[in-house]
This record gives sequence, structure tokens and C-alpha cells, in this order.
Amino acid sequence: MKRYWILSLLAIVLVTLPLMTACGEDEVETTTTAAAVTTTAGGATETTGDATETTAPAETTTTVGEPVTLYVGGTFALTGAYAEDCAAVLAGFQDYVQYVNDNKVIAPWHTDWTIPANITFELLWADDALDPAKTLTIYEDQKSKGMMVSRVSGSPEGMALKDLLVEDNIGATSQSTSPAYLQPVGNIFTNAPIYTDEMASVAEWFLESWTETRAPRVAYLTADSPLGRNIDIPQMQEYLVSLGYEFVGAQFVPMVPTAPPTTQLAWLKDNKVDLTLGVMVNPGSQPTVKEAVRLGMGVGQEYEITFALGNPAHLQIFLPDMGATGNGVVVAGDFCAQDADVPGIKFADMLQDTYRPNKKNTNIMYLDGVIEGMTQILALRLAAMEVDPAKLTAEDVLKKGYWQIKDLDTGGISVSKYTYGEGNVQGVDSCRIQQVENAQIVEKGAYPLRNILPSEQ
Amino acid sequence: MIRLPSGTYAQDYGQDAALVRTKANWAFLAIVIVFVFTIPQWASNSFLALSTVIGITIISAHGLNILTGNCGLVSLGHSGFMMVGGYALAILCAKGGLPFWLALPISGLMAGVVGIIFGLPSLRIKGFYLIMATVAAYFIIHWLVLQFRSLTGGTEGLRVPSPDLFGLSLKDRAHYFYFVMVLVVIATIVAKNILRTRAGRAFVAIRDNDLAAEVMGVNLFSYKLQAFFIGNVFAGIAGGLSVQYYLYANVEQFPFFDSVWLLGMLIVGGMGSVSGAIYGAIAIKLLQQLATKIGPPLADLVNPQAAVGLGLILPSLAIILFLIFAPRGISHIWERLRNYYQAWPF
Repeated sequence: MKRYWILSLLAIVLVTLPLMTACGEDEVETTTTAAAVTTTAGGATETTGDATETTAPAETTTTVGEPVTLYVGGTFALTGAYAEDCAAVLAGFQDYVQYVNDNKVIAPWHTDWTIPANITFELLWADDALDPAKTLTIYEDQKSKGMMVSRVSGSPEGMALKDLLVEDNIGATSQSTSPAYLQPVGNIFTNAPIYTDEMASVAEWFLESWTETRAPRVAYLTADSPLGRNIDIPQMQEYLVSLGYEFVGAQFVPMVPTAPPTTQLAWLKDNKVDLTLGVMVNPGSQPTVKEAVRLGMGVGQEYEITFALGNPAHLQIFLPDMGATGNGVVVAGDFCAQDADVPGIKFADMLQDTYRPNKKNTNIMYLDGVIEGMTQILALRLAAMEVDPAKLTAEDVLKKGYWQIKDLDTGGISVSKYTYGEGNVQGVDSCRIQQVENAQIVEKGAYPLRNILPSEQ
Repeated sequence: MIRLPSGTYAQDYGQDAALVRTKANWAFLAIVIVFVFTIPQWASNSFLALSTVIGITIISAHGLNILTGNCGLVSLGHSGFMMVGGYALAILCAKGGLPFWLALPISGLMAGVVGIIFGLPSLRIKGFYLIMATVAAYFIIHWLVLQFRSLTGGTEGLRVPSPDLFGLSLKDRAHYFYFVMVLVVIATIVAKNILRTRAGRAFVAIRDNDLAAEVMGVNLFSYKLQAFFIGNVFAGIAGGLSVQYYLYANVEQFPFFDSVWLLGMLIVGGMGSVSGAIYGAIAIKLLQQLATKIGPPLADLVNPQAAVGLGLILPSLAIILFLIFAPRGISHIWERLRNYYQAWPF
């Protein structure tokens, strides 16, 4: 009997140890009782909210300018289809946070938006592996550490978090731009147009150069995944028809094709399609366009057809591999070209030169990391101007931070400045169109967002 | 058969049939139950979320264990059947307005019925070919869910109302955890008892040698379908619980790879053993969580890319190591340890 007891205890210990290892820290209050103070450090002239009227209680021993650490970051899908992209986002985040801590400003062009010297930002991150269950545990873990912002790496993870974020009053930035974030509106703040609006912009752009008397024929050529099928909604089709298109149908290509999508492309040819719309990642778009060119399809090819894709089919990744083979391919809703002569690109280059001189990350999503980091830190900064940083709550950061972001300039990386607010989680107000011409990315203009959303369930 | 310490005998049928026999068994069980059911009192929200997910996974693993571990019908479509259960619950609750307590068992039954349909070829095919058929089942289900947009919400998925159970709000994470754990206990008891029924014995006979079983009078067709039905009822309930947990149903919540992990859990835990399904689910989920935890420090230490794919590598490595060094899984290791200790010092 004694042996059973010892064995039982041993089993409990064995089970408990790894569980405790996997267990996050105990819940900590995100609102601390440190004193509110007036902070004029680092050249900043803002006064933290309530500070002037607060006479700190005796038990709150915090002095003026007591160091405060605020957390930024969230979950990153470092395993799965978006691993490369997310690794770049993480790199951008890391460098940007380091830059802000070193320089105490949001960006070189926003030198008036300073960070009080006593505030330090720390990046918390973990790999969610595109798994909602993991996302949830990581989110709770980070929340328990006192993180008041978060981020979303993919639509299913975003949807798993959406209600929780609302419940916890936590605002999250996102690299995915699912229309579902907008209906009903939650706390997930996007930095690119939703996929349907990207397609709408392409359709409008294409019509401008359409000279034939017949209606242009459009079809979807999109990834066979929720990402690609996001655009396959009746509202999108109705909008295309309202513009004067003849909608032909849809063809789906695997996210990462294991064979050239010849059948789908032949179908487009047979149906005399002039323009295709789709959302793909580069491992899908590159073999598709290569096969199309082999079949004599494309802009300036034997069979004239324009292949248009939405962000995240980045031309900045597509072009180096494809060169002139990619001529005519259009991408909507993306960041500027990586060699664009804009302050944002110079800033990103400077970050890489400074913080990772020998391991430069060439993925375009590095810029996303910089922008998401900028958004989160700006939200925290704005909230910290209203409330003592040590007393900040997630609700403060959401309402006095995210919702107050107006005209956040990304130095030309994004098509427009970001403005958020209550009920407005879509930062940009237009959609950029880029096209490959002579193996170069050429800006084709910006088009207004049409808010094409699926019907509410 | 339950191994008993020397000197402990069954004196009546009730004792012989009991799942828990000795005082030590009861004590161990009590400690586990106290440990599990006090988790919301002392654990962080992160750990609570992990425990809830582990609970849901255990229920699903029990189903696959009946199908694969006991009946020998290897399925790589289990995640698809979880999807059926998940969407059934979402549709019944969100569109049909059914209460959660009613929708959950129905979602399990629906997954079971769909399991029977896809189990029909199992009479004619087995082994590798059956595995391929179950893979096809997953992709057919996935495709159907995306096609019936008006019902399933297509790629956008379906939002599910917050559940109530006889007035008790299950939106509270602790309440939901308790609810899941109660179902885990019920599922474990059911899984354990199924093996002691006529059907359970038939499953094992089919697994060990289906031709011999048929010669002995076991109706292969009927019992294989029963295995598919029962296994997938578990999957459906797990899928329903998962959807209700996130208050959202989407096809990407049920990736194909989850089916592979579930098989991996049975390998690590011990194929064919009820406790093995539990150990395996806990072990794989903890390893995945461990990968999440050590990723950031490892990236700081080595390089940022070091954390990429860690969540796949660690559990995969565990599966390979178990296949080589302990193919009968943790439950067998535990059993050997217990037997050794019982016979000690001999």
C-alpha cells in the first residue's frame, strides 16, 4: 500500500512539473498603484493625465519619472505557411522597439511625438503556429504579464481572439485584413485594405484603360483556401457587375501548387477572360504566372490577360524571382516598393543597418513589423499622455490610445496615413495599385475603399 | 483486465467489473480529480486555456483510439469529423437557435453519422488504402463546408452565441473548463467501458486479425461501422466544444495536420489504451506549449530563425523517439514501472 502511495505521489509530481513549466506567471494586475507624475523627459512636453491634480497617496512610493516598462508585440505564426513573413514582421518589431527605446521618438519624421524617458518598451512574442488554441494560451500568458496591446497573425487566430479582445478592452494590430474584422467591428486594427476592397480597386483601375466596346470579362483566379476564397462573396460579384464587368466564374489554385495550374489557366483562356482577381501568397502566384507565360497568357503575350492579386502577394518578393516574366502582374493594397525614395524606406534601412547590419531581412513584411510596432507604441504613448503610465489599463490604451490615432504617417510605406477611432479599425483610406513593368514595380495610383463586406450573419 | 496487487481478490461480480479497485487507486484518482478541478483556483488564465484545450483534445483522442487503437482502422480524417461536429453545433446554435446542451450531443451524433458514411468503404479496403480514404474524407468535408456558404458562412465562418447551461454562463472560462472536464471524465468512462462490451471485444478481434474474427462470427461490416460511428461521435463532441470555446467556427480551426497530431498522441501515449490517449494528448500539447515557451529565449540565444518551426519539431521528435524506443507508449512505460515496483525487491 505504501508503495502505491509513493507511486501516486511520484506520478503527481511528474505530471505537475511539466504542467507548472508550461504554466504562465500568475495573473498580475495590469493596473498598478504607482503614482501619477508629470513627465517632461526626453524632450517631451506632454503631461501625463491626472498628474497635476494628483497628490500621490502616502503608500504609493513611486517618484517622478519612475521607470515603467510597457509591453508590445503579440503572437507570430513562425510555423506554417506564413513563417517567413512572420519572421520578417518579428524582425521589424524587434528593431523598431529597440529604436524607440534608444531614441524616444515614434519616427524620425514625427520628432514631436516623443516618448517620456522613464518609459521603456519590451517586446513579448511567441509562435502561435497558426493555431487558434495556441493563440489563446499565448494571449492569456502575455496578458497576465501586463501586456495591454496585442497582435494577430492570421484570420482564424483573429476570429478566435476577436470577442476576447473586446471583452478585455485590448486593441490588437494585425497583418491579416479579413473582412470579418469589420463586421461587426472589433478591436483588431488593420494596416491594409480588406481583400475585397483590394479587388474592387483593381477592377476600377483596369476599367480606366479599357478601350473595347464590349464589357470586360473578369474571373477569380485565387488560392484554394479561406485566404483566397475571402473574395468569393456575392457582394464582390455584384460590385464587379455594377462596374460593367461580365463575371465569368472562379478558378482555384492550391495555396502552394504541387503542379502547374494548367487546367485553371486553360479555363480562363477558353472563357476569354480579360482580368483575373485573386488573393495568393508568393509560393502560389509565382508558379501560376510562370505557367501562364508558358501558355502565352499575360500582358503583352499572345493571349492578353491581366493577372491581379491582393496583398499578401507582394511584388517585392515576386519580382526578384520572376523578373520580366512577371510583367503585367498587378498587386493591390501593398506597401511601397522596397527601393522607393520615401522616408519610411530610408528609416527601415537605417533600422536594419543599425540593429542587424550582418543579417538584413529582405522580406517586405519587415515593414509591417515596423508599422505594427509604431501603431502599438503610439497607442501606448497617447494613452500615457492621458493617464499615468504606471496606472495604465488596457481600456485606456484602447480608448485613449488606439481610438485617438490620427494621421499616423508611415513615411510613405503605406498608401495613406493611418486614422483609427471607435468603430473605425481600418487605418488606411485608399488602396494602392502596383504593376510590374519591365521588371520594375510601378505605382499605378490609389483608389478609394468601397467597403465590400459579406452579409452579416 | 485490471492488475491487482497480491492478496487482493474480486469477491463478487461488482468488484470484478469495477474500474477502480483498490484504495490506492481511489486515492490516486482523488488526487488527480482534486488537482484538475482546482486548476481555475490557482492557475493563470493561460494555463486554464491550455488545460481546456487539452481536455477537448483528450475527448477527440479517445474517439480516435477506439477507431484506430482498438479496431485497427487508421484514420487521418479525424480532424474533418471534428469539423462536422463543430459546424453542426455552430449551425444548430447560431441558425437553429437550439440550446447548447441539446446542440452538443446532436453535433456528436451528426459526426458519427457522417463517420458511418465515410466508413462504408472500410469493409473493402484497409491499411494504407483506408488511410487514403479517410484523408479524402477530410478534404471532402472541408470542401463541402466551404461550398455551403449560406449554411456554414463559407470562408468567413460562423459566429456562435455565448453558451448557457441551465442558467449557468459558460462564457466564463472557469465554468467552461469545469464543463469540459466533466465531459472528459464521462468520455473516459465511456471509452473504458466500450472495451468491455461485446462490441469492444469485437473491435479488438478485428484489429488483431479480421479474417479470424470473421470466421469466429464477428460481423466485420457492422462492427467496423460501429467503430466509425462511436469514434466520430467523440470527434464531433470535441469539435463542438472547440467551436463553442472560441465562439466561432472556421475551417482553419480544424487543419488536416491535427489528424496527424492526434495519431501522434496515440503513438506517444500508447495505442489502444484509454489512459494512453490521455497521456498522449497531454504530452503532445505540453510539448507544443514548451516550444512556444522556449522559442523566444532560443531565438535570442541562437538566432531569430531558431524559433521557426519549433512547434512542429519538438512533438515530431517525440513521436519518432517513442516509435523507436517505446512503441507502446507512455501507458506501457507506466505499466512496466508499476509492475516492477509491485514486485520489488524481486
